[in-house]
Amino acid sequence: MGRKITRRAMIKGAIAGGVIVGSGLRGFKITYGKTKSPKEPIKIGGQGATSGAHADYGWQMMAGATLAIEQINAKGGILGRKLELKFMDEELKPATAVKNARYLVTDWGADFLFGVDSSGSAMAVGPVLPELDRLCFFCHAATHRLTEELVAEKGIKQIFRMVAPVYQDALAAWVFKDNPEIKRWAGINCDYEYGYVAWNLFKQNMKKFRPDVEFVAAAWAPFWTMDFSSHISAVMAEKPDAIFATPWAGEGVMLLRQALLLGVFEKVQVWWQAMGGSVDLLEGISREVSADKFHGKLWATARYIHNYPDTPENKAFVEAFRKRWGKLPNYSAEASYSAIYAIKAGVEKAKTTETAKVAAALEDMELNTPAGVRFIRKADHQAIYTVPAGRVVAKPEYPIPVLGDLKVVPAKEYFRNPPFEPVAATK
Amino acid sequence: MLDNLVFQGLIGLSLAMYLWLLSAGLTLVFGVAGILNFAHGSLFMLGAYFAFTLYGKWGWAFGPSVLVSLIGVGVVGAVMERVFFRRIYDLDLPYQLILTFGFILIFDDLVKMIWGGVAMIPPMPQWLDGQLVVLGRPFPVYNIFIVGLGGAVALLLWIVLERTWWGRTIRASAYDREMASAIGVDIPRLFTSVFVFAAMLAALGGALGTPVRVVAPGIGTAMIIQAFVITVIGGLGNLKGAFVGALIVGVLTAYGILLFPVFELFIIFVVMALVLMVKPEGLFGR
Repeated sequence: MGRKITRRAMIKGAIAGGVIVGSGLRGFKITYGKTKSPKEPIKIGGQGATSGAHADYGWQMMAGATLAIEQINAKGGILGRKLELKFMDEELKPATAVKNARYLVTDWGADFLFGVDSSGSAMAVGPVLPELDRLCFFCHAATHRLTEELVAEKGIKQIFRMVAPVYQDALAAWVFKDNPEIKRWAGINCDYEYGYVAWNLFKQNMKKFRPDVEFVAAAWAPFWTMDFSSHISAVMAEKPDAIFATPWAGEGVMLLRQALLLGVFEKVQVWWQAMGGSVDLLEGISREVSADKFHGKLWATARYIHNYPDTPENKAFVEAFRKRWGKLPNYSAEASYSAIYAIKAGVEKAKTTETAKVAAALEDMELNTPAGVRFIRKADHQAIYTVPAGRVVAKPEYPIPVLGDLKVVPAKEYFRNPPFEPVAATK
Repeated sequence: MLDNLVFQGLIGLSLAMYLWLLSAGLTLVFGVAGILNFAHGSLFMLGAYFAFTLYGKWGWAFGPSVLVSLIGVGVVGAVMERVFFRRIYDLDLPYQLILTFGFILIFDDLVKMIWGGVAMIPPMPQWLDGQLVVLGRPFPVYNIFIVGLGGAVALLLWIVLERTWWGRTIRASAYDREMASAIGVDIPRLFTSVFVFAAMLAALGGALGTPVRVVAPGIGTAMIIQAFVITVIGGLGNLKGAFVGALIVGVLTAYGILLFPVFELFIIFVVMALVLMVKPEGLFGR
């Protein structure tokens, strides 16, 4: 008994001594897990929604990142070090996302973080990053505030966003500004920040192009809405020419299927399903598109679509993804895939995994990615690239519907630029 | 404007009848056995998954898929009652909460393991697809079917409870368990049958919802909150209360979205708070 205590005390002393010596060398700054030998793997911790109606997004993130990591490891890794992945469920809950980020860095020893589906989760994880001293590459969370407020305004340089933000949703204003017959717009939007900002940005831009346009109704649907018929019927009471809708993933599928049931596509001229170009949503309405139930009135964009751009990089990515997973990649997969390659480019340029140096290396970098050339803007750490909008159509060469009649508006026209004018993040 | 109000009311009515299917079982089990079964939503979810598997995956017809999923969930309900709930009838409410909450977690993870986490929606069966013109606007046949079915279930429950021997013994044991037992009612068996019946009602809601609602882990939890609000408004344990509560919640939700879209989400909870303040036992509570 006595001996045991002595041994324990000795170990304690040794650890304390080690910490003191260690922190002395590092100027009293305790950093987690940065003293790894160069042969140890680079650990990459990801998180996304892997359960519930939005579960495909998290899965796609994991799938995209896994593919990139396997490719990189097959070619010897980064600076001779292999990559290792751990992926967690953020459940679209900010508290869970922060807990995951802390766990991944402090317990598991992640060198880099990526992922995050919900904007609420992203806004909670962002401010924790300086303390964790890790970069996080956001691959889905779309709120403008993540880059505009946290990076450009507050200077949290650990945040990078690989994916197009909510600016993309407002692309509808550019696509339909030259349709004088569409005057009455109604919105069915998510009852949280993403829905508010998408609708406000759309209204702002549309009003600029077309002062004659009216916004006749708005209905709001929170997470876990399963019956949208009250929302659809409420906005249809105002006889709109077009609908602007933001519910995504399974909720978007339910919304569209219920809209069909309510005969909406016999009445409106256009339905804009902002993130309708995502693979899971297209899969969910596949049968209805083939039967032409939408009468070609359904339009959508996404933060990447697999049939654009027509480049060898994109073709190679889509082919490799399909071969590996038997499915088409959606945008969270492409963004995660590109995030892993961004880590590679940053680390190789900085010749270290040190957070500040990799961040500096990535600023103003141009990356050749499946979605096209991504330019990582220094002011807000936002990756800038173009994603077109299109009509949802069935094409014989694809197992699910795709976007056709593509309308390509250059990103620099519809992405917001610093200094940023505030946008209301309220209903 | 009036047309739009009536139309929205009909949409609300179909939502109400759907919510009634779920609330009826919740309140029945509480009224008879005194168990507040938060896992009732999980039975709803299981009904949806069973029906989805038969109808969406194996290509059965919709009607038989719904029926078989009812039976399947009824069996699950019987096992839950026989093996678990029977042991806690005499214990305090916190034990019920822990047990039923445990079931929610287990079922959510179980369906994730069996069916995966991804949301799924099978197509609408032909005979429920399509619309009728109501007040100059298209109204889904499916919603009309749900309204009819909700009414039929209400009628059936009324007949069973008021007009049959089984219903009389249920009412007797809900009123005084010991006395009923003393005059020869087989209480354990009766409770099992009530629990199975309630489970099947939950499954009916879940199964019927599959062609329009998503089938995903967590849908049970999302639904149980609404069902709980309904039973609290109507009076816990009271079927008439659950019916009226469902009507209030369904119709108010629809009108809230039409008339007060900005704070529609609060309306239901404001109503619940008001009921609790004025009549804490609920509108029809004893």
